[in-house]
Amino acid sequence: MFRFLGRSVLSLLQYLGELAVLFGETCKALVTAPIRWHLFARQLVEVGFRSQLVVIVTGAFTGAVFAAQTFFQFHRIGMESAVGAVVAVSMFRELGPVLTGLMVAGRVGAAIAAEIGTMKVTEQIDALRALGVHPIDYLVVPRVMALMLSMPILVAECCGLGSLAGYLIGTKVLGISEAYYVDTMLKFTGLRDIKMALSKGLAFAVLVVFISCHQGLNAKEGAVGVGRAPHRGGGDRVAGDPCGQFLPLLRPQHHLPSGLVVCFFHVP
Amino acid sequence: MIRVRQLHKTLGSQEVLRGIDLEVNKGETCVILGRSGCGKSVLLKHFVGLLQPTSGAVFVDEEDIARLPERELGRIRKKVGILFQSGALFDSMNVEENIAFPLREAGLRDPEVIREKVAEALEMVDLAGEQEKMPENLSGGMRKRVGLARTIVSRPACILFDEPTTGLDPIASDSINHLIRRLQKRLSVTSVVVTHDMKTAYHTADRIAYLYEGRIYFLGSADQLRHSDDPVLQNFIEGRSGDSD
Repeated sequence: MFRFLGRSVLSLLQYLGELAVLFGETCKALVTAPIRWHLFARQLVEVGFRSQLVVIVTGAFTGAVFAAQTFFQFHRIGMESAVGAVVAVSMFRELGPVLTGLMVAGRVGAAIAAEIGTMKVTEQIDALRALGVHPIDYLVVPRVMALMLSMPILVAECCGLGSLAGYLIGTKVLGISEAYYVDTMLKFTGLRDIKMALSKGLAFAVLVVFISCHQGLNAKEGAVGVGRAPHRGGGDRVAGDPCGQFLPLLRPQHHLPSGLVVCFFHVP
Repeated sequence: MIRVRQLHKTLGSQEVLRGIDLEVNKGETCVILGRSGCGKSVLLKHFVGLLQPTSGAVFVDEEDIARLPERELGRIRKKVGILFQSGALFDSMNVEENIAFPLREAGLRDPEVIREKVAEALEMVDLAGEQEKMPENLSGGMRKRVGLARTIVSRPACILFDEPTTGLDPIASDSINHLIRRLQKRLSVTSVVVTHDMKTAYHTADRIAYLYEGRIYFLGSADQLRHSDDPVLQNFIEGRSGDSD
């Protein structure tokens, strides 16, 4: 029992240490190493542009369904006009960043971990090093830059489209007054909520990209290791984030990006 | 050119290298022989800083690279190129892009000059005109040749070959052996060849080192190895396992 606990704690500490080293090396490379803009542009298309459809569709459907369900409940107590506020505030504060984070973790995080993991087990990363190219400069930095730029935009799209879909369902289908809907929405959704959504998006970007790159760079055991890397890098590990997003809600509204702590409790 | 002193390497709980002393002189071809899993490739990777020793020193041109940080190893790796066992081609790039990679990373931008250098490197490895092919469309032998072209395109002073003939048919192996010898003459490079193929060893070697139980067991010429009456060496040369049916 003690041995198991000891191993788990050591494993967690080692994992956190490795992530911290990767983070530090990447920050150093961002400042000192030459930026490969063509790789950045390619990653921007891959992780940002190509993730738009899934993020927009998820955000729009969530906003629409959320608006309908909220209407059905609020209608009983004659508070239909509050639907706009509930949908918009929820989308910006929690649903938008969390859904975007999950979509991007599943789509982009898994792809990053699998791609880098394959390069690792086929000696392509050793080949990079042997040719005098630091793998962090070539593989991690462009992905970090691309995801950190894309994620807040994707979150904004998810929140915006979710709110718009909620508005359309609420006013055009369910018959809520447009003036009331917009008024309550604008009254309760402020700049603070938008900042919260964007900063959470940025926090998710950091988590997804570093965890995925770390899993890829540490892939072992040939095809089996590569197969495991996306789960560790994408879905499973980042699945801790929604819990991390939700827990701070129990405290007074929290501005800072959350999710950092819970996420790391998935021991490799 | 390359010198290792009391090199020890432990991987996990296994001590793979147990005090290697070896010197590779400028311009020579040194073959490192040994059974599969004896640590030949591990030793080779130390020569270019891909692995760091548990203890001991690795000198490249009299500079100890054993403790150099990764970023400082870049300038050493410009002098020492390595051909990996699988070729290790970048699978997202075609042959031309793979070979041009070290040139572009070195700051060369002129497409015409890059194209010429790529064509010259491909001609040296007998693959002229294969620029557009993707790695998945190449045979094992062709991958190794492209990997070799990528290594030689930036003209390193030393080339390390990790099992250059493993997995190839006898004719492709013979062709690679000739290629190694030809490149050595044409580019005057220092070569280190890791193999367990005796034909490759006899064909390419100026000197042969036999790695056994983590140490250099024998170091000498191909003739000295051939005429040695040491049972360990003879068993390896003749391919005798000592097992019976």
